[in-house]
Amino acid sequence: MSVLEGKVALITGSGDGMGRAHALLLAERGADIVVHDIDPKMANETAERVRKAGRRAHVAVCDIADIAAVQSMVREAQGALGHIDILVNNAGYGQRAETPAITEQDFDRMMSVHVKGSFFATQAVVPGMKERRSGKIVNISSIWGMTGAPVAPHYCAAKAALLGLTKAWAKELAPWKILVNAVAPGGVKSGGPIKLDSPETLRAKEEKNPLKRYAEPIEMSYAVAYLVSPEADFVTGQVISPNGGDTIVGY
Amino acid sequence: MSMKKATDMTGKVAWVTGSGRGMGRAHALLLAECGADIVVHDVLADEARETAKQVEAMGRRVLVSHADVADPSATKALVAEAIKALGKIDVLVNNAGIGQHGPIEAITVDDFDRMFAVHVKGAFFCGQAVMPGMKERRYGKIVNISSIWGMNGANTASHYCAAKTALLGLTKAWAKELAPFNIHVNAVCPGGVITEMPIKTQGWEKIRAKEKLVPLGRWAQPEEVSYAVAFFASAQSDFVTGQAISPNGGETIVGF
Repeated sequence: MSVLEGKVALITGSGDGMGRAHALLLAERGADIVVHDIDPKMANETAERVRKAGRRAHVAVCDIADIAAVQSMVREAQGALGHIDILVNNAGYGQRAETPAITEQDFDRMMSVHVKGSFFATQAVVPGMKERRSGKIVNISSIWGMTGAPVAPHYCAAKAALLGLTKAWAKELAPWKILVNAVAPGGVKSGGPIKLDSPETLRAKEEKNPLKRYAEPIEMSYAVAYLVSPEADFVTGQVISPNGGDTIVGY
Repeated sequence: MSMKKATDMTGKVAWVTGSGRGMGRAHALLLAECGADIVVHDVLADEARETAKQVEAMGRRVLVSHADVADPSATKALVAEAIKALGKIDVLVNNAGIGQHGPIEAITVDDFDRMFAVHVKGAFFCGQAVMPGMKERRYGKIVNISSIWGMNGANTASHYCAAKTALLGLTKAWAKELAPFNIHVNAVCPGGVITEMPIKTQGWEKIRAKEKLVPLGRWAQPEEVSYAVAFFASAQSDFVTGQAISPNGGETIVGF
């Protein structure tokens, strides 16, 4: 039996990039998947691939920052696939800007998608997890949430806030055996770096990394899959940062 | 540099948000004692005036403001006013904050929004407003007041914990972004501190029980947190940036 057989995992922002990689790996390991994304076309594509892997998939399209929509997404998903055992708070985006250029709107959107979205998605799945006295939540933070960066302080702060939620929820939810951890990716060949960096810049950044490379998205998914598996049933409030040695002490 | 000179803040101007009472007032008074002029800022008008009176009694200049820290246009206007009245702002202490206990299910969207607006958005836009002047003078000190709960979490108030962790994220990002301008950004993460807030919300009995769990066997007086703030605000810490000091009596040591 696959290790996640019979489990249902909701992965926010799984239409593309790392989110899709998480969805496909968890499906490969036996989980049925609620594919959430703001982009219906991409979400459907991921769902198709989940089904091809022989698992059930449910597609949910909404803005993760829209609390009412997130609540009905969880209700509908549970109606379609049954109770949600695993939540991966992955939905997010990057914006490279220095402090003087960040508007109030930029700031609000950054916090809304990453922190508020994760908070209220969790609030929506927690009652069911408490009832069953079992659950796994993984928050996708970032190496920049641990170390900061010379750009995008609002992004760094939002990703750090996810580490705060991780630690607080680990304590708050431990009595119900709901385990909460974070994955803090370093350089990954997906999303931001591909879109925002030139190939030369990317190569130069890879050279600075002790392992001299950026990761493939699935290398983040392995950490996610470990944390949601029974192998990690004694692990809570922790952060795994697959980052090739870029930062070691972290916080 | 002699120790005395390193702690001397004569001629500096420090803006302490939320300095009407509690730890914020203690920070304002200690910085004034070190020689700084102070922008006393609190939504609580009477409390702010009282702090200001105590600063003036030490012979320092003071500006009082009641701007809502969560309103970026109000804090931007406050900076303009402070520059007019006191010449500049050398030190920003992002101290204003609120507490609220509660499990995940009890935290409403309004609770969440207010928590992040006061702590994170407030600190962000206060920082954005003081930076141009600091960059021009190629010197500045920003101290973000986080919390031991921002490092460790707690079994309640996850929105508060997350907001306080966000301040650590901001601290580290700004330390890197502003290093080329010789602006230093650090954080102070208080552990248990005896202020009106916990006395009112928890009562002495609970506080005494919690004090027993601290290796040093007690909570701190507000001034003991201010000493860490003053270190970060003064020239003593000119090679220190992106760091967090947690005066917590040994309650947590590894932290993050």
